[in-house]
Amino acid sequence: MHDIGVRETIRFLGLTFNIETLKMTWLAMGIVILIACLATRNLKVVPQGWQNFVEMIILWLHDQIDAMMGRRGRMLAPFIVGLFMFLLASNLIGLVPLMASPTNDLNTTLGLALLVVVMVHCLGLYFKGGHYIAHFFQPTPVFVVINMIEEIAKPITLAFRLFGNILAGEILIIVLLKLMPIWMPIPSVCWLAFSIFISCVQAVIFTMLSMAYLANAVKEDHAE
Amino acid sequence: MIVLIEINATILAQILNFLILVVLLRAVAYKPVARLLQQRSDKIKGDLDKAEADRKAAEQTLEQYKVQLADAHKKAQDIVDKANVTARQEHDAAVAETRKEIERMKATAQAEIENERNRAFDEMKSQIVSLSLAAAGKVVMKNIDTKENDKLVNDFISKLDKNMFADLR
Repeated sequence: MHDIGVRETIRFLGLTFNIETLKMTWLAMGIVILIACLATRNLKVVPQGWQNFVEMIILWLHDQIDAMMGRRGRMLAPFIVGLFMFLLASNLIGLVPLMASPTNDLNTTLGLALLVVVMVHCLGLYFKGGHYIAHFFQPTPVFVVINMIEEIAKPITLAFRLFGNILAGEILIIVLLKLMPIWMPIPSVCWLAFSIFISCVQAVIFTMLSMAYLANAVKEDHAE
Repeated sequence: MIVLIEINATILAQILNFLILVVLLRAVAYKPVARLLQQRSDKIKGDLDKAEADRKAAEQTLEQYKVQLADAHKKAQDIVDKANVTARQEHDAAVAETRKEIERMKATAQAEIENERNRAFDEMKSQIVSLSLAAAGKVVMKNIDTKENDKLVNDFISKLDKNMFADLR
């Protein structure tokens, strides 16, 4: 187990990487792919077992996407499904002893948040063109300052919310283990249970907010 | 050794990692499931349409059967009525025939009876004559009293007459 606040790094091609974050990311990716493969290995028209679970997630996301983004949003469905499953797996593996969440590293969360925001702006420009730029200057051109602050705040809040929640959870697990004598496991267990809840909630929040931002860029505007 | 919040090249690696994950997931899981869901909804829609069509066809067939059944009932009734009429006619014809036969037999029997009676009457007459002659001979032989003779013959004849006709009647 690593010391709090310290990360192992390696240097590769002159760049610095947090090796533990990368390992855990690959593990989480592996888990997600494994679950997806197992669930879709033997698809049938009449669903059974794991297939029900995967279908449930996909149908729920489809409903959300249709409600928030309209028909154009369907092409983003794989991205959003992937985002949700990856975040859920990442958040939860941090609770396994000797492992860490990829999402306890700001690089991961900020990376994902920037990816989402860049996608938002690219899709917005692609689908709406001039309208998209114009909407930053509404209702009056003065609002461009506020709008810019909002746009910059989006990835930062998205990234720090997830990062803070997950890192705090892991730190408190370590702190509680060191603080409490070995015969008093109740606070640790309680916190672990709460961390599981937090992991799920944060995965949902990140996904839903990403969807909301993307919806802004993608959905057809009837008002304009 | 790096402090907790430090942004380095990991951010690029993570973006790349995530994009790879999305591509893999899309290929491995999302597409087959989405296709399957589409297939299922198509199949359910097709089944529902087919069920509706089948129901309509069944209703039509039922209607046809009802019409045919009513037709068959009517035809059967006609056949029964016709048979009844035919049977009545045949029965009447048979009765008439029988009556005629009976009439004919009665007539024959009466003619035969008449014949018999005539024949018997003729025979009786000839016997009466011969008996009268025999009686006359006896009377001649006994005496020649005319009065007595007449009386005897007449008595005999009248007696015979009564007996003979009573028998024949």
